[in-house]
Amino acid sequence: MTRMSMFGYTLRKRAQPWLTNGALIAIVAAMLLPIALTLSISFKRQEDVLRRPPVLLPCDDAEGNFNLAACRFVTEGYERVLAPRPDPASPLGFSLTGRMFSTYVPNTLLYALASSGLVFVVAGLAGYAFSRYRFPGRRPLLVAILAITGIPVLTNLLALYQMAVDLRKAGIPGYDERFFIIAVYVGLQLPFSIWIVKSFFDTIPRELEEAAFLDGCSALSAMWQIVVPLAMPGLLAAFLLCFVSVWNEFIAGYLLINKRELRTAMFGLYDFLSQNIINYQVIAAACVLIAAPVVILFTLTRQIFFQAMTEGAIKG
Amino acid sequence: MFGIPARFTYLMATQAQAKPSALQTTFRRIRARGFFSHTLPFWLLLPALLIIAAIQFYPGFYSIWLSFQDRQGAVWNFVGLRNFERIFNSAAFRESVGHTVVFLVGYVVVTIFASLVIALLLNRTVKLSGVYITLIFIPWVIADVIAGLVFGLLVVPEYGLFSPILSNPTLFPPKGLSITSDPAPRPWIPGFPFPPAPAMYYLILASAWRALPFVTLLILAALKTVPRELIESARIDGASSFQALRLITLPLILPTLVVALFNLTLGGMNGIGLVFTLTRGGPGTATEVLSFLLYTIGFSRLEFGRAAALSVFIAIVNLLLILLTLRVSRLEERVQ
Repeated sequence: MTRMSMFGYTLRKRAQPWLTNGALIAIVAAMLLPIALTLSISFKRQEDVLRRPPVLLPCDDAEGNFNLAACRFVTEGYERVLAPRPDPASPLGFSLTGRMFSTYVPNTLLYALASSGLVFVVAGLAGYAFSRYRFPGRRPLLVAILAITGIPVLTNLLALYQMAVDLRKAGIPGYDERFFIIAVYVGLQLPFSIWIVKSFFDTIPRELEEAAFLDGCSALSAMWQIVVPLAMPGLLAAFLLCFVSVWNEFIAGYLLINKRELRTAMFGLYDFLSQNIINYQVIAAACVLIAAPVVILFTLTRQIFFQAMTEGAIKG
Repeated sequence: MFGIPARFTYLMATQAQAKPSALQTTFRRIRARGFFSHTLPFWLLLPALLIIAAIQFYPGFYSIWLSFQDRQGAVWNFVGLRNFERIFNSAAFRESVGHTVVFLVGYVVVTIFASLVIALLLNRTVKLSGVYITLIFIPWVIADVIAGLVFGLLVVPEYGLFSPILSNPTLFPPKGLSITSDPAPRPWIPGFPFPPAPAMYYLILASAWRALPFVTLLILAALKTVPRELIESARIDGASSFQALRLITLPLILPTLVVALFNLTLGGMNGIGLVFTLTRGGPGTATEVLSFLLYTIGFSRLEFGRAAALSVFIAIVNLLLILLTLRVSRLEERVQ
């Protein structure tokens, strides 16, 4: 190796981390740009939202120069979404009267918690059976469940809608019922969750349970006392993935629920679009408020997400 | 038993019974461990299977039944394949297949290429890669409806933050772009919507923004399995880093790339939240993809039979894609 190329080599070795980091920072910035811009819009005043040409930050003074002291950030958008009113009966001293946070978000929270709780239990049981027992029809069932994970809600929606209407006519909870929409969410999330939970159970050595059996433990108590605690990351991952998908789900909730008091937050957002044609700060604020819980949940539990997605998800 | 040593009872038992048949053994085991504990896997699976049957299988078959029916008033009539015939012969279907193909090709190519670049970069740095991947992953957690609204806000004519750039005539000759109103230019091949309207590029961009994190994670996980020594020895033998990537890394992660490709195609073909809030199929029908057409026929025009025929068509394409994915990823073999 000549002296010159040696120099080039070390130079590249030295510069490489900087270049890589620089490129990654640029990519992260580009990925977060739409979010940052939405945040900026959500804190603008109506006048600043409707300026032509638009301004990135409402921080220009009378002469049109950028001046941090002149920034006019307001929470008007958030106030219009939340519509807080003084309420002596509430422990906080006020209550949120905006429909989004008095009705839609609690509904979504209920649907998401109920369906992910059910998925947690039902997928846990099924995943355990698939992981620990060999029974006739096991392979075809597993492959069928795996195949369903790819079938999206869209192609089934029409039939689910018709089914919901028929059930309602027959006097069984169907269209416009909390019970039915939760059942739909559970059914949609189950196949993927079973797959995740099963692959987590598979990683737990059987010897642990066999030792428990020798000590006189029954199959169910071995599962409850030994396997479940060890498989907790997988079960939690199924719970969290289900929670986030149901929270973000739009089309099923939109088509299967009609009553205002049962609608979901995503419907609320869609509805906002038609109600606030020029109040962009209100739309942006609503987006921020509804995305924030899942973004925070994700950042707190990201390890579980990543592990589940690389271990349990479909991969090569 | 009194008086008889244990080994004799053992002998008596073996002599009294010849080798029991398989059925007998099964029955004996059931009697020994109890009916419930022997059929335990069935009870464990039952709730899951019932729910999946009700919410996934039954509607699937119901769609197939619906696709052969037509509603007149409150009565369903069997019409054979006429729904399929009418769907496949409609101009809207053919046009929307074209839009879907353009969308999918753009979406898959952009997402996989960008994810591959990001994953390769992340595979290099050691220190902050956890922070980077967490930040990059945030768009994945954001709902498609929200992504549609956010990207929509940015390109509102005149007021949107991207509009000064888009309407700049020097950047986009001859008179700037408008995502919300510019129609598609005259197609190169008659009947195939390429080049698409600006709205389609924007839709692809927004969809790729959401899908990119997950694909990056998949590719990154695959890259971690490529042995470092392999690359290093190739480099010592004189291969450039691009050659090492092309001849060693890419072939090794190819299965993952193919799985990502099928996953993206599936997701892209069926995603509707973004189209719903970002373009609503417009301007005109410039971004009317199959999923949106299905919604329009089924729920705006309430032609259930025809919509069911379309959904059966989409479901068949989906199933083929899934089976291909299974073949490629050899997941079936992992089903031990």
